[in-house]
Amino acid sequence: MPARSKPSPVRRKIPRKPPGATTRRPPRTTTRARRTTAPTGPRGIGVRARHKDALRARILHAALALFQTRGFDDTTTRQIARRARIAEGTVFNYFPTKDDIALYFLEREVDHAIATVRQDPALAKAPLEEKLFALIQAQIEFLTPHERFIGAAFVSALRPASKIGFSLQAAALRDRYLAFVDELITESFPRGRRPALSWFAPHAFWIYYLGVLLYWLHDSSPGKQNTLAFLDRSLKLGVKVLKRGGVA
Amino acid sequence: VNDRKKPATGAAKRGARMAAMAAGVTGTYLGYFAQSLFLGERARKRKLDETNTRAARRITKELGGLRGPAMKLGQALSLQAGVLPDEMLMELASLQAGAPPMHPSLVKAQVKSSLGRLPDELFRSFDNVPFAAASLGQVHHAVTRSGQPVVVKVQYPGIREAIAGDFKWFRTFNRGTQLSRMVPPPIVDELEAQISAEADYYRETEHLSFFARALRPLGYVCVPEPLPHLSSDRVLTMSRVEGNHIERYLQSKPSQRERDLVGERLLELFYFQILRLGTFHSDPHWGNYLFKPEGGIGMVDFGSVKRLEPRFVSNLRAVFLYPGDRDAGEFTELMAERYGMFGRKMTRRTRSALVRFSKEFYGKVYPPEEEREQQAIDFADPAIMKSYLSLSSDLLVARAALPEYAMLARSETGLYLTLHRLKARVRTSWLVRGQMTEPAGPSRAGENARGRD
Repeated sequence: MPARSKPSPVRRKIPRKPPGATTRRPPRTTTRARRTTAPTGPRGIGVRARHKDALRARILHAALALFQTRGFDDTTTRQIARRARIAEGTVFNYFPTKDDIALYFLEREVDHAIATVRQDPALAKAPLEEKLFALIQAQIEFLTPHERFIGAAFVSALRPASKIGFSLQAAALRDRYLAFVDELITESFPRGRRPALSWFAPHAFWIYYLGVLLYWLHDSSPGKQNTLAFLDRSLKLGVKVLKRGGVA
Repeated sequence: VNDRKKPATGAAKRGARMAAMAAGVTGTYLGYFAQSLFLGERARKRKLDETNTRAARRITKELGGLRGPAMKLGQALSLQAGVLPDEMLMELASLQAGAPPMHPSLVKAQVKSSLGRLPDELFRSFDNVPFAAASLGQVHHAVTRSGQPVVVKVQYPGIREAIAGDFKWFRTFNRGTQLSRMVPPPIVDELEAQISAEADYYRETEHLSFFARALRPLGYVCVPEPLPHLSSDRVLTMSRVEGNHIERYLQSKPSQRERDLVGERLLELFYFQILRLGTFHSDPHWGNYLFKPEGGIGMVDFGSVKRLEPRFVSNLRAVFLYPGDRDAGEFTELMAERYGMFGRKMTRRTRSALVRFSKEFYGKVYPPEEEREQQAIDFADPAIMKSYLSLSSDLLVARAALPEYAMLARSETGLYLTLHRLKARVRTSWLVRGQMTEPAGPSRAGENARGRD
């Protein structure tokens, strides 16, 4: 719970949002939403902030299209600027590096996934394994149009200098994500009856999540249905292990 | 029965050990299935001690909780290998195979991955809670955007790989053991072909259209109609067929007369498929039959359909209700011809097992003499099923099994089992004869010509 309401240090250059605003922003299901922002937004958010938001989305949209066609490594900031029809300097203002664009994208992915789980009334009383399934499934759906880029980002994240893998922002994003996972685990057990292993569960879940992502990237079955089967079976097993305190 | 059970325990234990190992290594469905089938030895033994059908039914209910393609394989194997007591076999033979249950989020994801959109976007309403397990998946009620009530069959993801994996495992296991004598490799191939065909819903769509047309002459059968624009290889949408499953149907206490009618129709339906269509519904689970008041029959789940070669069918026609001496030359020639079709020689041992089967089972249950043609066979008698099963396993021991038999036997077992539960009295020979005359006449089931009325 605490990590979710903590002001997140991720967005140094993003002044527009109050902390914990994940649910306030209308959920954007696709990155194509860039031009749909109406000129009269909700009150309380300034015109400038809205403008910045729109610009950020526009840059992201242009970058994602290029990442998908040209590849993450071969795309330059100049190409992104040209595609978004803005000055290259503006891109730097918003995102100092390509990794920052990637991180921004991943942030939106996490926002989307959390919102998906929270906004589905049918999930409120679902068993833990189904909630976790819905969470990862929402992430994967968000990532699906950008599969090529995710593959590259995955590799790129392993470099020690990578912002995606090792920056403070990345750590904060991961913390926010795992805090949500922890929240899901906590709410599925009666008060005071959390299993002994649950303190460790989010950490294990993070490693598991990376594994799922890798599995998904390499899944060549039609409709990637093997990933679905893998997710389903492994989550059932994982939750069973958690409940029994380590013995499957 | 009893003397066959003893060595089986040893075989079961060996099997269990192998299965436990394989389950640990490969995590296949089959491993889990075999593990839970054999390892709960003590609990199982306690129940087996009361070897009456009721106890067996309870056990199979528990087994029914196990799912996956292995269930189908296990079902077929247990039937073939004769490692289980007859009462359990009877129940097992009828078991519905299913995949692990899917939660609503997985169903949504699978529909989206297969049809490109979520169920809520494709249908006016979609019931997230399945009402039945299907072959390798589960079935949901839904209403289309135009208001038509339908059922949607959703397959468990990755099932085809699981089937392939299970069979690979089984072949390895089968090679080194005595079991391969009981379950020869061609039969394993046949089973795999059938079971993986069941996982292809496109094919099932074709089957549905075929049977809807072909079964029309038997006015009492109703088959669901597929909706191709809402179907794929893993999701199948079809019109809803009314009727109750046998349990529910029997609870409504249908009269003996009505049960006789339904029984005759089921038997006629079976022989119509084999002798006239040369193609039959080979999933005998009684969940696949829906019974309506007044004796109407709904037939669902056409995942498992077997086509027979025309020359095999004409051989069956010649052998069914064979009037002469089944020990004599002509009958032997007919059987030898059948084996020749599959490039097999009929050995002496095979021949005597076949003749015994033919005389002791078919000769009694399907009396060939014209004057006994109208005789109704009372399927309430469990001896019929027992004799069928024990003679079938003798056939296997005599290495007389043909690949064609695997599915035929599965279907036939299902038929007798259903007739037994209905306690139906059926004029078997009269109905079979009806399917052998040319040209095809009207349905004979329930027709009043019976002597007993």
